Amino acid sequence: MPIFLLVGLTITVLGAHADESARGPKIEFNRDIRPILSDACFHCHGPDKNTRESGLRLDLRDEALKESKLGERPIVPGKPELSDLVRRILTDDTDEQMPPPKAHKVLTAAQKVVIRNWIAQGAEYQMHWAYLPIQRPPVPTLAPHPVDAFIRQRLASENLQAAEEADKVTLIRRVTLDLIGLPPTPAEVDAFVNDAAPGAYERVVDRLLASPHYGERMAVDWLDAARYADTNGYQVDRDRTPYAWRDWVIRAFNENKRFDQFTIEQIAGDLLPNATLDQRIATGFNRNNMTNEEGGVTPEEFLAEYTANRVETTATVWLAQTFNCTRCHDHKFDPLTQRDFYSLKAFFHNVSEKGVGDYNGPANVSSPPVLALPTQEDMARIAAIKAGIETTKLDQSPAAIDRLAALTKSLAETEAAIPVTLVMDDATPRDTFILLRGVFDKPGEKVTAATPLVLPPMRDDLPRNRLGLARWLVDPANPLPARVTVNRFWQMLFGIGLVRTAEDFGSQGEPPSHPELIDWLASEFISSGWDMKAMIRLLVTSATYRQNSKLTPAAHERDPDNRLLARGPRFRLLGEFVRDQALAASGLLVEKIGGPSVKPYHPPGLYEQVVNQKDNPEATYTQDHGEALHRRSLYTYWKRSVPNPAMLLFDAPFRETCTLRRPRTNTPLQALNLLNDPTYVEASRLLAKRMLVEGGESIESRLTHGFRLVTARIPNPAEMTILKSSLERTLREFQADPAGAEGLLKVGEATTDAKLDMASLAAYTILASTLLNLDETVTKE
Amino acid sequence: MNPNPFLDMTRRQFLGRAGSGIGVAALASLLNPQLFAAQGSAGIPHFAPKAKRVIWLTQAGAPSQLDLFDYKPGLRDQYDKDLPDSVRNGQRVTGMTSGQARFPIAPSIFTFKQYGQAGHWLSELLPHTARLADDLCIIRSMNTEAINHDPAMTMLQTGSQVAGRPSFGSWMSYGLGSGNADLPAFVVMISRPSGKGNAQPLHERMWGSGFLSSRYQGVRFSPGKDPVLFLTNPPGITNDRRRAMLDDVAGLNKIRLDSYQDPEIQARIDQYEMAFRMQSSVPELADLSKEPVSVFERYGPESRKPGTYAANCILARRLAERGVRFIQLYHRGWDQHGDLPRDIRTQCYDTDQPSAALVEELKERGLLEDTLVIWGGEFGRSVYSQGQLTATNYGRDHHPRCFSLWLTGGGVKRGTVIGETDDFSYNIIKDPVHIHDLNATALHLLGIDHTRLIVRNQGRDYRLTDVHGTVIQNALA
Repeated sequence: MPIFLLVGLTITVLGAHADESARGPKIEFNRDIRPILSDACFHCHGPDKNTRESGLRLDLRDEALKESKLGERPIVPGKPELSDLVRRILTDDTDEQMPPPKAHKVLTAAQKVVIRNWIAQGAEYQMHWAYLPIQRPPVPTLAPHPVDAFIRQRLASENLQAAEEADKVTLIRRVTLDLIGLPPTPAEVDAFVNDAAPGAYERVVDRLLASPHYGERMAVDWLDAARYADTNGYQVDRDRTPYAWRDWVIRAFNENKRFDQFTIEQIAGDLLPNATLDQRIATGFNRNNMTNEEGGVTPEEFLAEYTANRVETTATVWLAQTFNCTRCHDHKFDPLTQRDFYSLKAFFHNVSEKGVGDYNGPANVSSPPVLALPTQEDMARIAAIKAGIETTKLDQSPAAIDRLAALTKSLAETEAAIPVTLVMDDATPRDTFILLRGVFDKPGEKVTAATPLVLPPMRDDLPRNRLGLARWLVDPANPLPARVTVNRFWQMLFGIGLVRTAEDFGSQGEPPSHPELIDWLASEFISSGWDMKAMIRLLVTSATYRQNSKLTPAAHERDPDNRLLARGPRFRLLGEFVRDQALAASGLLVEKIGGPSVKPYHPPGLYEQVVNQKDNPEATYTQDHGEALHRRSLYTYWKRSVPNPAMLLFDAPFRETCTLRRPRTNTPLQALNLLNDPTYVEASRLLAKRMLVEGGESIESRLTHGFRLVTARIPNPAEMTILKSSLERTLREFQADPAGAEGLLKVGEATTDAKLDMASLAAYTILASTLLNLDETVTKE
Repeated sequence: MNPNPFLDMTRRQFLGRAGSGIGVAALASLLNPQLFAAQGSAGIPHFAPKAKRVIWLTQAGAPSQLDLFDYKPGLRDQYDKDLPDSVRNGQRVTGMTSGQARFPIAPSIFTFKQYGQAGHWLSELLPHTARLADDLCIIRSMNTEAINHDPAMTMLQTGSQVAGRPSFGSWMSYGLGSGNADLPAFVVMISRPSGKGNAQPLHERMWGSGFLSSRYQGVRFSPGKDPVLFLTNPPGITNDRRRAMLDDVAGLNKIRLDSYQDPEIQARIDQYEMAFRMQSSVPELADLSKEPVSVFERYGPESRKPGTYAANCILARRLAERGVRFIQLYHRGWDQHGDLPRDIRTQCYDTDQPSAALVEELKERGLLEDTLVIWGGEFGRSVYSQGQLTATNYGRDHHPRCFSLWLTGGGVKRGTVIGETDDFSYNIIKDPVHIHDLNATALHLLGIDHTRLIVRNQGRDYRLTDVHGTVIQNALA
């Protein structure tokens, strides 16, 4: 009954306003109409010819205005009453109704009204915003900083006001966590607070951008995008050693490699003239896909899988287009075809890979092409062994024959231990066919390398290979990569992108909250010479970024996700930085950059339950010791079949496919991890030691020191009251329970000062753990 | 349906959408974790469910239908004869046997008998399951496209061979929420074979939440000190000390909440409370010491050893009693490419008695009426021998074109058989059931229309059954 009422009401409303609708506020196709048509209609009346019903397309104006096979005129511009589309969406005859009931797509009354009014206004179409050329819009005059000018223009139109600037302590913690993924030290906080000269904040930003930890922080997001991991992924999931590529990424960010060059080297570094070793290592980006070594595998099936994965990853990271849909059929919503997919695949279809890894060989060389990266010592050692072999060969004595065998074995072992990284190469091109329904053994028409038709064409002077593809990607005429990249930077700092769907700039994605701003930033990014540090600096020096992040009930109700930016960003840190922060605050952090991945603390038994035991040296997790326990989390060994459980609890992806956004959950399992993981118990012990050793003599000064190490700020009196009474209670308890104190202090391998009183150390450990478990601690405020 | 599950329906959003003039703090206090844990997605179930929970007894590695459920007496005369080309019909075989000169037929060496009113043919390897005959709906016409373990298990669990989709349990906890505020909605337990069987690896993705929020991911329960990861307090932290410390953490968080008024802070306070409750609810659940001797006798000798399939079956019953929605057991070791007669015996020793005991116990306690139990693997095995065929020994390769599994419990038609295969258990000749159909049916029993459990990801609507799946009407009571 209520449904009928609603429909009746809608018709009444439409009737009453039919005349005014044409003169009402201008309806914009991209903003108001495309999202509705795309979601409710394009599946059957859109780009995919194979699922198109009645020959009707609504994604193209010319088509939508034609008379259909059924003799209907879906859209008659200016005449909604003659448009069958309007009749069909308003009718309650289920045989006629659109979308049909079985589609489970229901248009709201408001959506029906806006479609009708749009037709009344002439049914003008627009090209989808993301494919339009980037136009640098004029900057509004509302604020000196361009970002603030655009943001405040929108705030003004919504009758909202920007928040005040955050206090200096909050600000330095925010920007430090954002740019290097570590907390500021008390000395850094003091220096900033006491720097009253103009430009103090900008100096902090510049210091952070120059820090070698900046590259580590930026790499984390890029490793998710590049589905980087330390194992092959399928089935037995043996190890690979691609860390040279990961270290290249860190270096590239630290050196502030231009984003266009960053792109070209990763897509096609090997094809550059006189390619350097580094440029070849960079191509590991496209080898980070999973590889299969399972016995029964058909190589062609997995070659199809790997190349498809490269198309999808490249299209997601640089174009934010959901090309995975076009692997099996033309896109249902966007003007992308199956031919586009396989034409892109042809760029990646000449690698000398085999489709199935060699399970009988060493794991790290089982999927060529690979690049061996011997160290100086490796090379010297190999030369020495080879020389020994030559000398020994001259001698025919039994002893010499034994020695020769030993040397040969030693040579093989030494060579097998040389780190090897996966790279792309340019072998004989394989023929590329459109695969029917995406099935590897159902080839259709043959295609050659070409870029998607909807985007600006490849320049004639570019070679039709990966290098050409890479240069096309960063051709300033290509409207997507700059928009997509600045949007990811925005997302990293503000929590949600200007386009919320960072991985989908298609018609089913969310349109930008600030269309002019994203275009201005994209234009600025290109004209700056694709300068990533400059773009990050631009964003974090805005007043928008520097606002305080406190909420009021009214502000929250008005804009719960903070899309309008009337306050600063406040959200939980990535799992990596939750751990890195604890290591840094406790003084445990080993600041070494790069190198082989490490195996810190890990719950026992997780591998044994699931891995293959047979001939598998990775059947158990063999924890490292010493400094490997305290490296930054991006160096933690990432096994795809059993990723580090703490990272998974904090929403890290499996790194099986490209990921551009992590969810941000808040769960009891995270609480258990921060409370009980030896990583955090050990960090608490060491933080306790710092409180006792560095924190002066009074309880207050010691607690304050710990509080500052974790949150950067000084506790307020109410907080101090809780902290003090907590400490006094805990101290009493441990004084009465030395065994308990001793047990607690044995967690983890790092040593503290043996001269410290055990009960005190245990009590401060509990306080340190309290601090590491605060909401504020795991949150960027 | 929530159009943007990716970022999860956080309290932040909930409050925003609920905005009607009520103050944030007041609303936040209404949002206690029980409320949220118990809450699924709007409009689900779509209709009255027959089952409230699922116990999926996953037999990883692919049990041989030919030696357990799919009786082919005619094969005895075909021993060591070549599989007729007309049967294989050029269909794909794995890389492990594609190089074999011949495909010699290996009849099962095990005897079959009929059981129950239903007259189910079952192998001598399943004496305990045989007792249940009249409770079982046996599907002999299961099929899948995947031919290797990793894609096939990913298919069975997520409805897609390609990694990255949510698993059945994640869809279910997303749709239906949790039935117990102190326990996760989706629990996974894994056991290794007691014999020497080839134990294929499993991947966390098989119980992963794919593009759904990670809060719907399966939670692994393990034997030993920490049934759930990081559950146990470190040495020196007694329960009282933990409680007192958490009160301090909450006190400090509340001060921050007053100042920032961010509902996420209240959410964190609530999650810490739930963590504390789990610290007592989970060990209580995992502690089998108070189970009477008769229970262990019923589940068999392995049930006293923590981490075995038998012990996990007892835990599955305890989880079902406590309202956990999706309980998934994996028993590894069914991948019998060689020495099948030896290894399938130990696999059945591991699983037959406990599986039957679990169903019987559920029945006695009135839980079977609203619990769906599924027993089976990711594909079937070939009629031809892989490797040497002798009178007493053979191996079987992967066979995706047909396999058998069984269902019982809430809403399932008991004592019935669905589907039929040809004389070689090679091709299906009647009523094929694809994994999508099985999933559609399981969702149906849970009160969910599989075409309406939809989540948008990367601009496309996804379902567990993708664009496929038909409810198996013959399987419904």
